[in-house]
Amino acid sequence: MLQVAGIDVAYGHAKVLHDVSLDLEEGKMLFVVGRNGAGKTTLLRTIMGLLRPLKGSIYFDGGDITGLPPEQLYHRGIRYVTQDKKVFGSLTVRENIEIAAYSSGEPLSQALDKVLEIYPKMKDFLNLKAGQLSGGQRQILLIGQAMVGNPRLLLVDEPTQGLAAIVINEIARILKHLKGRLSAVVVEQNLPLVSQLADRVVVLKEGKVTQVLDDASEICNTSLLEKAL
Amino acid sequence: MGNVVKERGLVLEKTFVAVGKQLTQAGVGQKALELILIGVVFLILVPFLGAHRATDFAIFCIIVLSFDLLYGYMGRLSFGHLLYVGVGAYTVGLALRYLTTNPLLAIVLGIVAACLAGMAVGAITVRIAGAAFALANLAFNRVGWFLVMSPLKDITGGENGLSIRNLSFWYVNFRNPTFRFWFVLASLLLVFLFLRIFTSSSYGVLLRSIKEDEKRVRFLGYNTQLYKWVTFVLAATVAGFGGALTALNYGYVNPNTLDVHANAGIVFACLLGGSGRLYGALLGGIIYMLITNLLPVYFQRWEFFLGVALLLIVFRFRGGIWGGLEALYSGLAARVKSGSSKEGMSR
Amino acid sequence: MIYAIMYGLTVGAVLYLISVGFSLTFGTMRVINFAHTITYTLGAYLLIASMRSLGVPFFWGGMVGVAVAALAGYGIERFVIRRLYGESLDYTFIATYAVFLIGVDIVKWLWGVFPKPVSDPLGKTVDILGFVFPTYRLLVILLAIVVFFGLELFMRKTMVGKIIVAALDNREGVRCLGIGVEKYFSLAFVLGSALAALGGVLYAPITAVHPYMGSHILLLCFAVVLTGGLGNLRGTFLASFALGMLISITGRYWPAGSEIVAFVAMAAVLLARPIEA
Repeated sequence: MLQVAGIDVAYGHAKVLHDVSLDLEEGKMLFVVGRNGAGKTTLLRTIMGLLRPLKGSIYFDGGDITGLPPEQLYHRGIRYVTQDKKVFGSLTVRENIEIAAYSSGEPLSQALDKVLEIYPKMKDFLNLKAGQLSGGQRQILLIGQAMVGNPRLLLVDEPTQGLAAIVINEIARILKHLKGRLSAVVVEQNLPLVSQLADRVVVLKEGKVTQVLDDASEICNTSLLEKAL
Repeated sequence: MGNVVKERGLVLEKTFVAVGKQLTQAGVGQKALELILIGVVFLILVPFLGAHRATDFAIFCIIVLSFDLLYGYMGRLSFGHLLYVGVGAYTVGLALRYLTTNPLLAIVLGIVAACLAGMAVGAITVRIAGAAFALANLAFNRVGWFLVMSPLKDITGGENGLSIRNLSFWYVNFRNPTFRFWFVLASLLLVFLFLRIFTSSSYGVLLRSIKEDEKRVRFLGYNTQLYKWVTFVLAATVAGFGGALTALNYGYVNPNTLDVHANAGIVFACLLGGSGRLYGALLGGIIYMLITNLLPVYFQRWEFFLGVALLLIVFRFRGGIWGGLEALYSGLAARVKSGSSKEGMSR
Repeated sequence: MIYAIMYGLTVGAVLYLISVGFSLTFGTMRVINFAHTITYTLGAYLLIASMRSLGVPFFWGGMVGVAVAALAGYGIERFVIRRLYGESLDYTFIATYAVFLIGVDIVKWLWGVFPKPVSDPLGKTVDILGFVFPTYRLLVILLAIVVFFGLELFMRKTMVGKIIVAALDNREGVRCLGIGVEKYFSLAFVLGSALAALGGVLYAPITAVHPYMGSHILLLCFAVVLTGGLGNLRGTFLASFALGMLISITGRYWPAGSEIVAFVAMAAVLLARPIEA
């Protein structure tokens, strides 16, 4: 479904990713772990077309998507949920979803249903300005927004970062709910969560892939971690 | 037969490359060579333009150099740089009228005044990111112009300007065009040397890093605001020096010295020559002055031409003339290298 | 004093109309468009030209001015701004300044350097509580208010408006939702240019119409936008009137200082609230 083949990515003269590759099959969840600054966000941004790799290619659903802009990738089914949990703060929650619905051509009522299916409590917030939501609620709104249209691949960047334990459980529940129905590449630092949900784990260290684990429980093996991270 | 021609061609290119290499390497001997070169260029101009004009050119180059420090090296476009030129000029005028009869002292006062103005304005504008920085400085420039025209009309002479008396003191005689020329040329060389040392130092490297990616520099622990401010003040001070010299060169100051729209000329000169390189600034300054002095047609519809020229540069020729020369140099250097190795192989 | 306030409101109204476009462009694209006020200038001159050469009354002359200037605005966006989109903002500033220079020169070439007077098109006055005001100025103020509410509606109720608001909040987010923001920015740009032209048309009877009028008002516009907040249309509305009043009232007591006062206010705001990238 998603194939990243040997990409190098740089910011100006500073190279951040070196010859990174990964493979994701349809319906599976791949988690990317690594220290801060290892290049995880850069990886997601490159897949989403916000950055252009210096070399290497990215394939999605059989087609070469290297260098395509995010606008096009959205319509191919890739959704990017950012790390900074930025929503359209001046618009209401409903309007946030409305924009996604407009873009994907889906009727608003259907889009709203999809979001409420993941998180029924969102009904109470629909008319609130999105900027007034808490961090956890924004994260869920963003995931819900990603469900609008015809999502095939989710790119999620540190969904549980900075959230309280209760909220993390909520997000974990949502992700579990999505497992099998969508393909996803998730960046996470919460290792127990990773071991629960991941079909495959890719470890990034200083911009290079140091480990690929197909048995997620191994991620809790500390000695392995120390070597890889 | 063909080989001989090729070899001759290579010789020319080799010389070009060799001279270029000399010019771009650091070292005391190098700096001396550069200064001499610049001095020679201006001396060559004198018989064609006259000492007065050549002095004009030199002063303009000083101003462009100060601007290039801010824009070319640090990457911050200010559209209100002339304010400091004006401050320097008017301070000299007023100092010679009310405070002193020593023009050198007046120059120092002019520089100090420009420095202070730069500190004050810089403290406010340096915090502004993006293109708003350009406009904010423009606003201050206009305020300065306005102050000179209206509220302070009585001391500054408003529209009519100030004439400057007391132009000679001891052996320092600004009434003599030849003296002025040498004084200004020496000042230009001094400014160039200073900037040369400054930009090749680690501070210069820091500046260029800020230009490329300020966030990263900040993450490395540097207080970039402070460095930006200091550079701003420095640029303002040098500009003030240029202003002071302008006043003494003409014996007259008027509000045109800080005309907001004249900033475009400086930006253009800087870009034309090639921003981010001291030589570029010099080249741009000289060529711009040549254009404005020798093309009366240009002068008639100068806004149109300047506008079109600016667009051309922004769309196509960002490196300016110096950038073009550099590209030529690296292209030739590569050819010379491969040419020499070929020679070796054929032996 | 009351006349100073009335004048201040009028100036504020005009400032608002001109600043809206500037604020939008600055807020969405982070671009400082120096050529923004070229449409303002063009609007005024085309009004005069159509009134003189075509003998058309003020209203229609104004319409012509706005329409043609908006077209010019589109041209500027298409051929200059869009080309430099995503690149250095400084180059865009220089490029728009270049357009301004060319525009000013064209105006000078077509219509000469000397200011052209435009008389009050209505010539009537209204009596309110014993004070006599020119009806025209009241109309201008009302128009600005109408435009404000019109824009509010547009931004809040239409899809296009909502997308622009979203883009002002989070441009990348809009792109990642599959919507190409450039189109909407262009639209905002042309809209802003048209409004600026309207400002020029309306202000023509009140101020001096000369080739450099644009650069003068641009700085005030800039002060308004900085004070009111980039891309914040409500803030722009309030700031325009506030600064308009400030200028007018200062002009009453210290004519020389009326201009500076706006910049002092701007400097004060900048000190308190510097602009981050």
